[in-house]
Amino acid sequence: MTAVAPDLDVATREALAELLLSVADDEFIIGFWDSEWTGIAPMLEEDVATSSIAQDEIGHARALYELLGELTGQDPDRIAYGRQPDAFRHAALLNHARGDWAFSAARRYLYETADAVRLAALARSSYEPLALLTGKMRREETYHLLHAEAWLRRLADGAPDRLADAITSLWPDAQEVFAPLAAEESLVRAGLLPEPMANLHATWQARVRPELEPITGALPADAPTRDGRERRTDAFRWLHAEFTSVSGSEDGATW
Amino acid sequence: MAVERAERIWEVFRQEDEGDPMIHAGNVNAPDEELAMHYAREFYGRRGESQRLWIVARDAITELDDVDLLKPPFDRSHKKPGGYIIKHKLEAAKRRAVDATE
Repeated sequence: MTAVAPDLDVATREALAELLLSVADDEFIIGFWDSEWTGIAPMLEEDVATSSIAQDEIGHARALYELLGELTGQDPDRIAYGRQPDAFRHAALLNHARGDWAFSAARRYLYETADAVRLAALARSSYEPLALLTGKMRREETYHLLHAEAWLRRLADGAPDRLADAITSLWPDAQEVFAPLAAEESLVRAGLLPEPMANLHATWQARVRPELEPITGALPADAPTRDGRERRTDAFRWLHAEFTSVSGSEDGATW
Repeated sequence: MAVERAERIWEVFRQEDEGDPMIHAGNVNAPDEELAMHYAREFYGRRGESQRLWIVARDAITELDDVDLLKPPFDRSHKKPGGYIIKHKLEAAKRRAVDATE
């Protein structure tokens, strides 16, 4: 394994690891939640599309866990499957079970738009492996976002009340994609994170409010919170038990 | 914005590499053009197997399958190129071309 980012001091390296973990866990967990639709999506074509997008997200998580592994020397599979629920750092938006189709579609829209803002910033990261990977991810995420937007429009027309309820209930936790990182200042100073989360959050709100408020009415002025990536729920603990069931039954299993 | 709710069938054509012909790949059901594009991409492009897709609403296709027009009952062999021996004519033409340049 080649030494990556040897010029980073220990504290900055740890801060970078926290950033990578937060993005990786987001992609990993939304991938698992959306894969819960495999076999039961509203129509066959949508079933294939949703499953494929969920797979893409898990693929992105894998690439990010590998980057993290290069930085910390950990095994990417162990990072993904070897942690207890409380050690995950995904945003609270991803703590909820998939719910009905409107709920999943609303979450995908909230997440994809937030992810797009975040990735646009990370593409300019001074940590070159991350900037390169982000560039690749964005090519797929562009499609994911178009798909999420298509569903938002369809449901706004066909099931506006259900969609509005889903968006309104997810809105506070959606802010947490931009929850502040513990050592964020040093990340921003080093250009590893080109913009503070608070700026990205403002960019995202400015983008989604005009799309969402015609559906929901005025949305409250929620903001990210300190523990936005640390709160865990029973729904997530259930999902964690699901996705660790194989690694848990046979440690180090390969196939 | 009114969204059309009826599902429609979309025929999908794919091109494997730049310059290749567009070949019929199959079809997808989708309620609108936008989702048709996503589904076509997932069904016929997600493995990187396509350079380009054409997605066409089936009801936008003009179909001709009238046997009277396509398989008329009379002998059509005179409309096929087979049966004409042009080998000797070609050879003669080549000889003339060579003679002319000498």
